[in-house]
Amino acid sequence: MGVSEERIWSGRRWAFAAFLGIMVVHSLAILLFTRGFLLTRTELSQYSECNDVMESPCFPPARDRNTNGSCWSKPVVGRLVIIVLDALRFDFVAPSTFFAEKKPWMDRLQVMHDLAARNRSSTRIFKAIADPPTTSLQRLKGLTTGGLPTFIDVGNSFGAPAILEDNLIHQLGQSGKRVVMMGDDTWVQLFPDHFATSYPFPSFNVKDLDTVDNGCIANLFPALDKEDWDVLIAHFLGVDHAGHIFGVDSTPMIEKLEQYNEVIEKVVGALERQSGPGDLHENTMLLVMGDHGQTLNGDHGGGTAEEVETAIFALTTKKPNTLLAGAESSSCQLDVHGRQVCTSSIQQLDFAATVSALLGLPFPFGSIGKVNSELYSLAGGTWNQEESITGDDGNPSEVQSWMLNYVNALCINSWQVKKYIDVYSSLSLIGFSDKDLLHVSELYSRAQELWSITSRNISGAFVSPSLVRSQLDAYSMFLESVAALARSNWTEFNLKIMGIGFCIMLSSLYLNAFLIRRLDKLFGLQSFFSDYLQNFLGVNLACIVILIRAWSFLSNSFILEEGRVASFLLATTAILQLRHAIMKKMMLLEALVLCLLVPFLRISIELSQLKQAVNSLFLKVDSSNMLGIVNDSELWMYVAEVLPMVALIIVAYLLYKSITSCSSQGILKYVIAGTLFNYMLILLNWASESSLLSPNLSLSLIKGNLIPQVIYASGLLQLSLLVIGQLIDRGRTSNLEQSTIVKALGLISAWSSTTILLSGKQGPLAFLALLIGGWCLIRLMALERNTKNDSSGSSLSYALPVTQWSLLAVCMFFSTGHWCAFDGLRYAAAFIGFDEFNLIRQAILLTIDTFGFSHILPIFGLPLVVRGYLLNQSKQVYSIRICQVYLMYGLITAIATTFTMLCVTIQRRHLMVWGLFAPKFVFDVVGLLLGDLLIFLSALYYTT
Amino acid sequence: MQQPMQEAKSPESINANTLFASIRMLLLLHLACGLGLALAFLVAVDFRSLTLIQNPAQTLFTVWAADALIVIPVFSQFRLDPDKCSYVKAIVRGLMGLPAGALVNALGAIVLGAPVGIQHFKKTVHWSLLMSVFTFVPAASVFGSSWTDWHRIFAHSKFSLVQMFRPMRPIDFIICLPAHGAIIGAWFGAWPMPLDWERPWQEWPICVTYGAILGYLIGVIASFGFVVYYNRQHHAKRD
Repeated sequence: MGVSEERIWSGRRWAFAAFLGIMVVHSLAILLFTRGFLLTRTELSQYSECNDVMESPCFPPARDRNTNGSCWSKPVVGRLVIIVLDALRFDFVAPSTFFAEKKPWMDRLQVMHDLAARNRSSTRIFKAIADPPTTSLQRLKGLTTGGLPTFIDVGNSFGAPAILEDNLIHQLGQSGKRVVMMGDDTWVQLFPDHFATSYPFPSFNVKDLDTVDNGCIANLFPALDKEDWDVLIAHFLGVDHAGHIFGVDSTPMIEKLEQYNEVIEKVVGALERQSGPGDLHENTMLLVMGDHGQTLNGDHGGGTAEEVETAIFALTTKKPNTLLAGAESSSCQLDVHGRQVCTSSIQQLDFAATVSALLGLPFPFGSIGKVNSELYSLAGGTWNQEESITGDDGNPSEVQSWMLNYVNALCINSWQVKKYIDVYSSLSLIGFSDKDLLHVSELYSRAQELWSITSRNISGAFVSPSLVRSQLDAYSMFLESVAALARSNWTEFNLKIMGIGFCIMLSSLYLNAFLIRRLDKLFGLQSFFSDYLQNFLGVNLACIVILIRAWSFLSNSFILEEGRVASFLLATTAILQLRHAIMKKMMLLEALVLCLLVPFLRISIELSQLKQAVNSLFLKVDSSNMLGIVNDSELWMYVAEVLPMVALIIVAYLLYKSITSCSSQGILKYVIAGTLFNYMLILLNWASESSLLSPNLSLSLIKGNLIPQVIYASGLLQLSLLVIGQLIDRGRTSNLEQSTIVKALGLISAWSSTTILLSGKQGPLAFLALLIGGWCLIRLMALERNTKNDSSGSSLSYALPVTQWSLLAVCMFFSTGHWCAFDGLRYAAAFIGFDEFNLIRQAILLTIDTFGFSHILPIFGLPLVVRGYLLNQSKQVYSIRICQVYLMYGLITAIATTFTMLCVTIQRRHLMVWGLFAPKFVFDVVGLLLGDLLIFLSALYYTT
Repeated sequence: MQQPMQEAKSPESINANTLFASIRMLLLLHLACGLGLALAFLVAVDFRSLTLIQNPAQTLFTVWAADALIVIPVFSQFRLDPDKCSYVKAIVRGLMGLPAGALVNALGAIVLGAPVGIQHFKKTVHWSLLMSVFTFVPAASVFGSSWTDWHRIFAHSKFSLVQMFRPMRPIDFIICLPAHGAIIGAWFGAWPMPLDWERPWQEWPICVTYGAILGYLIGVIASFGFVVYYNRQHHAKRD
């Protein structure tokens, strides 16, 4: 201690510089790495023009037909009605006989089955495969541009910026088509001034199932009878919101589906009433489609089958003469009423191109989809190759003319895609690889060679069907290989930037470790090595645990099971500490309690995995691993209602005890009193929501948003009180340890009420577990004490407790029902207390819900580890210790993040990179930066 | 039969003569440990045609029962206080140690993450009984309820080599090393469980059992080596 006494060491100034520095270095490293890893596709600003098609080798439609504003291909549909049902799962639409098991939500859209069975030539059900990320905004962007929106756009989903790329809606406007939009206001944000008329309704209040839908219905039916539009878009949100709030298997969901059934029936009726020759809907196509699917919990965003598989139901009012007898990709089944229903498959990528072809529009410049033959055939009459060859049924000439039309459409399609690929390769910094480009060009030139023959034949009189078919095959092959190339190569990792970011991250680790050592030196430590030997067990155990956890990120399975891995490691350290405690014959109770706490954390981690596994392709959890507690008995419901309240009362009691035991701390008393008041409000809030406890209590007065808002306000008030107290109290405290405990208690209690409220019923239990775990770890610090006088010891004795602290924090993250995926975010929590959407406010609430128990509370509570055996030491030493502990905690988090970065780099071509590794990376990075910020703030708060 | 551990309380004063004479017995003990396990598996696989993967509970039952039948009588021969404690009493001690050790092992496994569902109950019970045979039963047979000895074996203070081995007697090695080997092996054996290889052996408690057995065997071999080394040193000292 002697060395540092002469030096003037200002803890706060030092902490300010050091933690800010680390934060900046981390941000820089992450920024660079993210730029390399989560790339956006380069958006080209070119637009397809009507006249472009003259450059193509294909047959442009005759000029005189060009009255309708259509120019690239012959329009086959007059008007188009697109009804988007958000988060429409494929099994909502297809008959239940297509699936292994009939579930309550299936067969609710009976009108589709009925129509598909009756008019098989003009009606068809498609399974539409979306590309991840399956969030509404990304899908709308993908549907309209015909491209593949990339992962990074996910972040913009709440901000909804306008689409600047060429897209379907732009082309509609250019061609003079009038577009009417109603429903989800995301459309208006994407296309601010493209619509002739629009009736947007706010989409972000997830709790509201009906506003958007009722708005749609109110505007849809009058519009159907009007002539002032060419394309009508109605976007219903009820199913998406019902899924988010109640899940798929719920009464509101089924009610929504039955409502939609009615709506579609009425829409079809309205269209068919006016479908006679010369009528308004003589040649109208109806598309009822989902933008993406959803999981059984109502989540979406990832790439699992349930999220990706949605449906398109297509119907044309102009009945083709010939029956379409089974296309290549269709599968037919009898439905529950014994009708034969067929479904086909389509890629959502192909939607923009197909709709453009149907309406005769220029294809969006960046579209890489292919005109889908079956959807195209529905409108354009019939298409059946067998018939066209034999010619014994139907109208061969009609079939043939349609075929030629389709070949021409594909020709234009291929030409446009090739042009896009060429322009993209020349303009984008990193285009496709030369090998792939060569392959694609080869396929294209082969198709074009064939086309030169085919086109000559078309100009002549007769085209042999086999020639047409081989031409179609050649184009299909080209288009499919382009799509495959784009899918596999679109995320162009910039390895150089990634490498630089990674190296900066590595050096930040070194900086972190260096700062810890430097503080030790300030402390006047003589020999590092002897100290290492003294803490041999603890330090090595800490290192081993951290490294095991870090390496585990290399495997997708361990990432899925991250919570259980953390609890396993925490349990290992706890058992070793129990052994240590037995050996020293002290702290036995604490060690035992810690050991017993871990299984509870693990069980709640497994419960949250069950929730996750319902919809995860990757994760398979045997639900029978659990005790049979998932039943819905009356007793269990009662326990589930009462247990959190009991836990909350226990927490309140503990807090109350803590103020009575602490001697006269003015501000703390007010803060904790405020927290107790908040807890009472939370209890009141639950009691008012509860069905079991208060069936007859008239609490309706206080129902709603008042209580949560009061709790938020009082939390803010408490925080500001603490800050003011800190400012007034600066440097006047005599007993630093006592005052730190008081400060930490105040800070934790100020945050706890908000965190508990947002976490819902599990909140108090999690908070209680965190308190118990933290208490055990603090007490067990005594085991690490080797000598009576700690002042000569280095920071190494803190290695194990801080590691355990961070493991406990990780366990808390997973056991409060979170996981590292975007479907693990609990959006509903962001709307507790508020009905309207406000980006910043809701984002803050969502952050508190997600990271409250795993980052905010543990980091604010960390200085408590230092307590307990620094009784007679100067303030400086104490401040140094706090800085060291925070540096260590930051180092542990940063090591985990560094390894996550390494792992996503190694696994960047892994099948699950977007499903698993990238979300994990994003969560880790956000957690690290948030942790850095919190550490920075709390280091300022605690040091003097 | 000669009793090896006459002056048990002060290891330094062990009569080297006695020790040397018993060394052959100790080697036999090792053989019994290893062969006992092999025999137990033989019984399980050949006589009852059970495999660990298909019916883990019955196999584990067979193995621990057969192994216990060998381990308890053999270790009871080496009981620490043969004057006060008869052979039968040592066997009874071992038998009592079996469920007690199983309880501790089962709790440890659950703390570390063993499934707690009802259909896993039988497997967990049999697995922990097997672990008990590896860890607790020999110690119970030899030490009885002597807290100091237990403390020395399972919670010695430092992982420094000097302190680790100095106060140990050969019988301590034979109990301590395989027991630790089994526990550490089981800990490592849990690692492959979360992997998505979808192999039947990834189920609880199969790979953990494999890990434990492997660790146990390594422990047996290591303790064998230590006994030989220890013997040679004392042999040299005597000369």
